[in-house]
Amino acid sequence: MQNFRLLFCVLAFFIVVAAQAQPNGEIQNSLVRITSTESEPDYRAPWNSGMIGRAVGAGFIIDGQRIMTNAHVVSNSRYLTVEHEGDPNKYPATVQFVAHDCDLALLQVQNPNFWKSMKPLQFGGIPALESTVSAYGYPIGGERMSVTTGIVSRIDFNLYTHSAIDSHLAVQISAQINPGNSGGPVLQNGQVVGVAFQGYSGDVAQGVAYMIPTPVIRRFLKDIEDGHYDRYVDLGITYFKLQNPAQRHYLGLKDDDRGVLVGTVIQAGPCAKALQQGDVLLAIDGHPIASDAFVEYEGERVQMPEVVERKFKGDSVKLDIWRNKQPITASVTLGTVWPYLMQGHSYDIRPRYVLYGGLLFQPMSLDLLEAYRISDLRIRHYFDFFVSDQLYLKHPEVIILTNILPDPTNTYLTPFRDSIVDEINGKKIGTLQDLARAFEQPADRFVVKMIGDGPPLVLDPKKVEEARERIKTRYNVPVEQNLDEQPPSRPAVASRGSI
Amino acid sequence: MRKIAIFILALVISLPLAEGKKAPVAVKKLPPTARGAVQAKEVSLVRVNVTGQPYDYFRPWQKKAPFSKRALGAVLPHGRVLVTADLVANENYVELERAESGDKTAATVVVVDYESNLALLEPSEKNFLNGLQPLDLALDTVVGDKLSAWQLEPTGALVVTEGIVTTIGMSRYPADIADFLTYRLSIPMQYRDNSYTVPLVKNNKLAALLLRFDPRTQVMDAIPAAIIAHFLKDAASPHYQGFPSLGISFFPTRDPELREYAGEDNKGAGVYITAVEPGQPAAKAGLQAGDIVVAVDGHEIDKNGNYVDDLYGKLGFGNLINGKAYVGDSLPLHILRQGKPLTINVKLEHRNEENYVVPPYNIDEPPSYYVLGGLIFQELTRQYLKEWGANWQKDAPQDFVYLDKFQSELFPEGHRHVVILSQVLPANGTIGYDDFSYLVVKKVNGKEIESLADLAEAVKTPINGFHVITTEDDPKQLELSAAEVEQEAQALQKNYGLPALQRLQ
Repeated sequence: MQNFRLLFCVLAFFIVVAAQAQPNGEIQNSLVRITSTESEPDYRAPWNSGMIGRAVGAGFIIDGQRIMTNAHVVSNSRYLTVEHEGDPNKYPATVQFVAHDCDLALLQVQNPNFWKSMKPLQFGGIPALESTVSAYGYPIGGERMSVTTGIVSRIDFNLYTHSAIDSHLAVQISAQINPGNSGGPVLQNGQVVGVAFQGYSGDVAQGVAYMIPTPVIRRFLKDIEDGHYDRYVDLGITYFKLQNPAQRHYLGLKDDDRGVLVGTVIQAGPCAKALQQGDVLLAIDGHPIASDAFVEYEGERVQMPEVVERKFKGDSVKLDIWRNKQPITASVTLGTVWPYLMQGHSYDIRPRYVLYGGLLFQPMSLDLLEAYRISDLRIRHYFDFFVSDQLYLKHPEVIILTNILPDPTNTYLTPFRDSIVDEINGKKIGTLQDLARAFEQPADRFVVKMIGDGPPLVLDPKKVEEARERIKTRYNVPVEQNLDEQPPSRPAVASRGSI
Repeated sequence: MRKIAIFILALVISLPLAEGKKAPVAVKKLPPTARGAVQAKEVSLVRVNVTGQPYDYFRPWQKKAPFSKRALGAVLPHGRVLVTADLVANENYVELERAESGDKTAATVVVVDYESNLALLEPSEKNFLNGLQPLDLALDTVVGDKLSAWQLEPTGALVVTEGIVTTIGMSRYPADIADFLTYRLSIPMQYRDNSYTVPLVKNNKLAALLLRFDPRTQVMDAIPAAIIAHFLKDAASPHYQGFPSLGISFFPTRDPELREYAGEDNKGAGVYITAVEPGQPAAKAGLQAGDIVVAVDGHEIDKNGNYVDDLYGKLGFGNLINGKAYVGDSLPLHILRQGKPLTINVKLEHRNEENYVVPPYNIDEPPSYYVLGGLIFQELTRQYLKEWGANWQKDAPQDFVYLDKFQSELFPEGHRHVVILSQVLPANGTIGYDDFSYLVVKKVNGKEIESLADLAEAVKTPINGFHVITTEDDPKQLELSAAEVEQEAQALQKNYGLPALQRLQ
């Protein structure tokens, strides 16, 4: 939805919150300190295992001998340990579920000794504005629990910076929280009302911290009941307020302050068949949509996407539509709109690439663009308009020649860096698989056409073959390609152009 | 690819006007005897004072605040004064001033060419330049020559700074249309208030004119006398034609694989044509993408795109087109098409700025616009994008920058402009639309919009009393009540101080 276009994630850093002890009970018996050894993928040398780093965060015990924390505390982790006050041991832990789109994760600890003195916390509701909450955790990596208190300052949709593309309900609190140990619980009257997860660095705003509220947490816990996390679902449309009287008259709407105008319908989304540009959405699941895109939901006035937020993959939603001045209804089955994923951060996957003749081909993604700091106008355009201009239909993956490892076979090819592969020997390239397959075909030469008015890149397969070992040795490349790891939950792409 | 690299270079070293009095440099004042030698005939320079007032593309109905520039002009034969086009861009008033006496007179711009960055002025008083020896052109400058930058002290005394020509090659001129012949000098020149145009002189002849100068590195690019001569010859004809172009993009054929693929005959020469601009001379003559150009007008082109110039040695072959040839000339191109030699005669033309989908410059002419019930429509031009400042390529709306940069690729058929909804003036009729801006307009009232004139025509026929605007991107559609637009027109004009609701070219 339109919020998802807000990719500016610079402002937030991750934090953890601390605990105010006794009004909320013996939090020490529920709070854990999590140490994660993680390996950050290196998109510039995708064959490497990446940089090893260590991070400390907080977590808390919930029902069923599970530890809840933030996804970003355990992302890309290779080894996890947990510890808690009053027990001198460090216990190895594993990730049971992780939801990068709402920054939550559940951990397991096998050792029964760990659980001896631990007590699960219970969840509450959304705390009232101006009510006091306490945050618990291990700020700045300290070893003893810390507690801070503050009030609930605002309840609104907000960008979750971990993925950088997801917006969900978030609660802003004024409790002091600091980087180093996100994932800690925020309590009120002995119940968990949120998980501290992000804030601003001090030079942007102070006393502004965010917690993940319980509707988001409960949704996560429900989603995984079937043993699999399916991600949030989305309508896959853009919509606009219908406040202009002339526009309302033109569309044949009454002056009843109802309806939003459908702009773009993402073809890869669930509404592709049900909606079209120019439709007016009048109601969602029976909740009337106001012309400013708010709906009444469970007694509160919330933004329209909130209705979809609470649903799960495979659920359906009923839409009341105004089309050509006639009311119609449609029921759509919700799912993830996969093209968005490319515009967000991904975790726990190894970068995918093909190295051929020293030419490094990689699929476009936010992580890739950040790693190379690519500012090429065409690539930025393909990134920014990937979803809205439906560029993914032709290019489910945008394959970029990101780097060239110099070798006699490619010495004249440097001008091709940062160009997007369009076709190889006349065959359209829509995915990294397509590219790898194209280079496997027997041919006298490979003519690689890039998008735009440039010259073709011409390769002699025999010379490339001769150079293989030389390049691998010289640049320490153990494996020349990684095609395997599909980004999670991307469906097999139906519209791929290769037959 | 090539284009990009050069373009960036050009940006980095574009006229640092405000650099002012940084980095004191040694300026060699001529010893009295030497100065006397020049002054005996009176230095062939006049001061040129220009008040310019650029149009405000964000508020296209008005001009920005006026500002003044001071520069030097080189006195040429026939009572004319040569300056850079930059100096007189959007001028309201031009004045010549005798350096030694301070006498002034108004002047008119006779010819201005923003692509080569040259302009000719004429004083309103015929005798104003009397006593000044006109400068002839020195056309024989080569690498290693010493050229003298002539500047004037406030007193009118001549200051001469000597620099050395380090490179002669093709480089992007400020209008960013094409590469032209350029001298690059290393010169410890001091920037003065009269430095907008600085003549470079060799043996008392005009060898070049300042194009841009970086006081930190003391590197100057200059417009060579050869380009000036081309301009003057053209300016002498009744209709100024401008510099010709071919309308192609090319790529070196250094890569043996590419050469083999393109069917090159192993002599290792020529450049690969990557694109041919539709409707331009090369396309009209039948040149195709994939052709290899091996010779132009009898000059062999090497695989980097250079020919051997009689005077300068290796030089980009663009100089054979825009430096040596004129509009109307028929230029033989020797090409290889899939290995087969062919000769194609191209009749050269000048490409006018309005002949682009996104015009590269609009100077001295008011921007067109159309205000419909508070929606401001304009045509996309690079001049508009430049309102975002020196970093416009980063700061301006990125889809517009993309449209500008890839215009020939995106609109291969040409012959159109891009109409944008640039901003919305809040009014009763535009409630709910206030946040929309920078949208590409596709249709108005069902008609495809390829110019502001199209739009003006389309709004004459509202659909059932509504103006229906369709945009390329979200929100995709906006509607206005035609009756309300008409009713509120006057109030809108008054409220926002619009002298008129439209200006069409």
